[in-house]
Amino acid sequence: MITFIVRRLIAAIFLLVVVSLITFVIFFLVPRLAGQNSYQLATQYVGRNPTPSAVHAVEVKLGFNEPLYVQYGRFLKGIVLGAHYSNGPSTTFCPPPCFGYSFRTQQPVWPQMMSDAPVTVSIAAGAAVLWLIGGVSIGVLSALRRGSFFDRLSMGTALAGVSLPVFFTGLIALELFSYKWTLFPNVQYVAITSNPLLWARNLVLPWIVLAFLYAALYARLTRAGMLETMGEDYIRTARAKGLAERKVIVKHGLRAALTPIVTIFGLDLGLLLGGAILTEVTFSMQGLGNFTVQAIQNQDLPEIMGVTMLAAFFIVIANMLVDIVYAVVDPRVRY
Amino acid sequence: MRKPRQLGLAAFAAVAALVLAACGSGGGGSSTSSSSSGATTSTSYGAANTSVVNPSAKKGGTLTFGISNTPDSTDPGNTYYAFMWNFTRLYGESLVTYKSCPGACGNTIVPGLATSLGQVGDKGLTWTYHLRSGVKFSDGTPVTSQDVKYAVERTYAKSVLPNGPSYFQVLLTDPKYPGPYKDKTKDKMGLTSVTTPDATTIVFHLAKPFSDFNYVVAIPQTDPVPPSKDTGANYQLNPVSTGPYKFQSYQLNKTLTLVPNTNWNPADDTEAKQLASKIVVSMNVNANDIDNRLMANDLDIDLAGTGVQAAARAKILASPSLKQSSDDALSGFLWFYYLNTKVKPLNNLACRQAVEYAANKVNLQTAFGGPIAGGDIGSTVMPPNILGYQKFDLYEATTKPTGDVAKAKAALKTCGQPNGFSTNVAYRSDRPKEVAAAQALQQALSQVGIKVTLQGYLSGKYYTNFAGDPTYVHGHNLGISAGGWAADWPDGYGFLDEIANGNAIAPAGNTNIEELNDPAVNALFAKAANTSSVTAKNAIWAQIDHDMMSQATILPIVYAKSLLYRNPNVTNVYVDSYYGMYNYAVLGVK
Repeated sequence: MITFIVRRLIAAIFLLVVVSLITFVIFFLVPRLAGQNSYQLATQYVGRNPTPSAVHAVEVKLGFNEPLYVQYGRFLKGIVLGAHYSNGPSTTFCPPPCFGYSFRTQQPVWPQMMSDAPVTVSIAAGAAVLWLIGGVSIGVLSALRRGSFFDRLSMGTALAGVSLPVFFTGLIALELFSYKWTLFPNVQYVAITSNPLLWARNLVLPWIVLAFLYAALYARLTRAGMLETMGEDYIRTARAKGLAERKVIVKHGLRAALTPIVTIFGLDLGLLLGGAILTEVTFSMQGLGNFTVQAIQNQDLPEIMGVTMLAAFFIVIANMLVDIVYAVVDPRVRY
Repeated sequence: MRKPRQLGLAAFAAVAALVLAACGSGGGGSSTSSSSSGATTSTSYGAANTSVVNPSAKKGGTLTFGISNTPDSTDPGNTYYAFMWNFTRLYGESLVTYKSCPGACGNTIVPGLATSLGQVGDKGLTWTYHLRSGVKFSDGTPVTSQDVKYAVERTYAKSVLPNGPSYFQVLLTDPKYPGPYKDKTKDKMGLTSVTTPDATTIVFHLAKPFSDFNYVVAIPQTDPVPPSKDTGANYQLNPVSTGPYKFQSYQLNKTLTLVPNTNWNPADDTEAKQLASKIVVSMNVNANDIDNRLMANDLDIDLAGTGVQAAARAKILASPSLKQSSDDALSGFLWFYYLNTKVKPLNNLACRQAVEYAANKVNLQTAFGGPIAGGDIGSTVMPPNILGYQKFDLYEATTKPTGDVAKAKAALKTCGQPNGFSTNVAYRSDRPKEVAAAQALQQALSQVGIKVTLQGYLSGKYYTNFAGDPTYVHGHNLGISAGGWAADWPDGYGFLDEIANGNAIAPAGNTNIEELNDPAVNALFAKAANTSSVTAKNAIWAQIDHDMMSQATILPIVYAKSLLYRNPNVTNVYVDSYYGMYNYAVLGVK
């Protein structure tokens, strides 16, 4: 198992370098190939009607006049060793991992991302708990009561959950519960360290809206897995041996049905930790998702690189953890 | 089985009814409000355009702003958005400022930090300002003329502070000054074109006379900055204040909190007020969420000041109670098309005139949102709120707003294109109004045989790479380009110079996209720079406007308007004519 983890970590580092290279090529090289020169690129980061000397100063400051391989090399070096940046009167050291300074705000990217990360983690983690408990429970009950009213209602609701996008259910939730009935007024992120109750209250709507979408998927997945598993011979054997029904369902049925759930859960959580974009934009929460949207809208390349790398990191780590948990859940799997 | 199906249908109907009831309601929140003292204030639609709504000297409370994106910078020396020039007056005071009053008087320049407007000397080459004595920064240290000079020096450091305008570099005698961060002089006062003979006097030395210089120093770039407290690119996080408020905390791109500046003297700054106990700005709030919070009284003002979104607009205009808390404000913007004077066959005046006559201005106005959300049909380059504006209409924009096909065809004959011609139209594809307008223009021009191909570009690169790059424009036959413009200051120079002066044509980021380089027009700009009489200057601006329109270089669409919503709990609300939005420097809460 230790060898497996070390091998996966090495592969993860290699994968992140590849992701950084692809992202760099997309955002730095492709515009050049499309005919954009460094002067034109610099004009985007200066105010209206700049003088040529102002554009040139920005061009030099942001390194656009340097060869692309130099710019990429500087970026990688910053991640590993950090970098020095001038803010005018003084020079500051940006410690590793340094993803550079925002072209727009001239503030370091990493602290900005770390400042936004708790919002995304709060939304993703809370929704994950809800959708896992809710989705799996409903899936199990539906499978056990196949064909019943409960089964049809829950699967019908699951279909609605899968079909309705977050920006629709989120806006409906805000309209009803925040603006009209004021059960959740002024939904905005409050740090858990500042006011845990307000933190939770303001996250209830985003949690429910996001969990509604995923719970639907998990309910259907769990139901399908349980139906398949509960029809197996060993389940019949377990019942014939006189085991309690609850033990049959949980220890033998659900455990076997969980393996695809675990895989999907890891991927979903990893993706969400990189930014629940639609949820954050709908509820105006400044997390990594909103950070990503603004970085793209502002063409802020260091921010785009930073958030892409961070999102890739979460997915890679999530995948690795899923594989480890897989070995725990399924005794047949060994590394 | 029928029962479960009936129950399911009933449940669905109940949910649908709930949703429809919520969506169909007239909006939340009270339409008339009671102040804490119990008095009610009735308002009417548009009242804030010409009068102060809820006048009050009441102190206390928290004034909340929301904005759907983030400012380019909170550093007064590094921002170029109108709403920030408005907002920074809460924590900074420039040498001169705009009078805080509703209506056209809001365009009047009055002394700010200085005791009077600039004293002109040396045949227009020096402008002298005397600072009021006793003015202090928020940390209690006195403000001196050197602090103002240092603030001006910072505007030269474009590699560190790239956002603000570059007027000082262009107008003063020392354009090659490298900025204070590369200044090798002992006290970082190396800018020779600004001198400070004593602690309360500052003299600007111009390369050429420029009679609008008072407007230049009204820009927040003259808000004083103490050199010892300057942190360059980080100054935006906590600038030292000379206004009624100071920074308490700022989480970049998230929340800004201002609290009263105890070292501010109301007598020092009569155009701002210190009423609320706290001001909070929430950034990156979804635009529709802002509107809903405004209508639910959870938010006081939309900081961007560009009007509510389409969904809220429909709600507000349909509800008498919401409508009376809204104002259809002239924003100071003109939306228009540039008609390029170099791209064939539009290089022929008569061909450009054909476009002027053929365009259906009503459809273009509708594309921009109609009379309320879009604005009034324009017939001049300068909007009505610009000093020097004169009403005229050379192409029947207001008398035959659906277009004059006969005159358009006659113009086509004159320009040697009796069957029409082909050209391309550039517009910003991520702006729905410009998309709709381009389609309306295409349809109207096709009636007279002018075939236009629509070329959409993302707004982020529109001026830098496409419409604002003359080489690209010529190479891609972009005869017509969409544009929008507002003045840096409310007279003809502030509005017209960058879009009409020949020396404004640039290889990238060009805003004189029609590439007008008329010696007569250029000479008028030079003449105005040497003219101190406001009446004479206004006549020059009107002349330039007339020349531009007679040369058919611009096809005006609308004098833009914004539907602004004011929370009934906010006091002293009125539309500021210069900023085209509510005056943020005087607001309070009930």
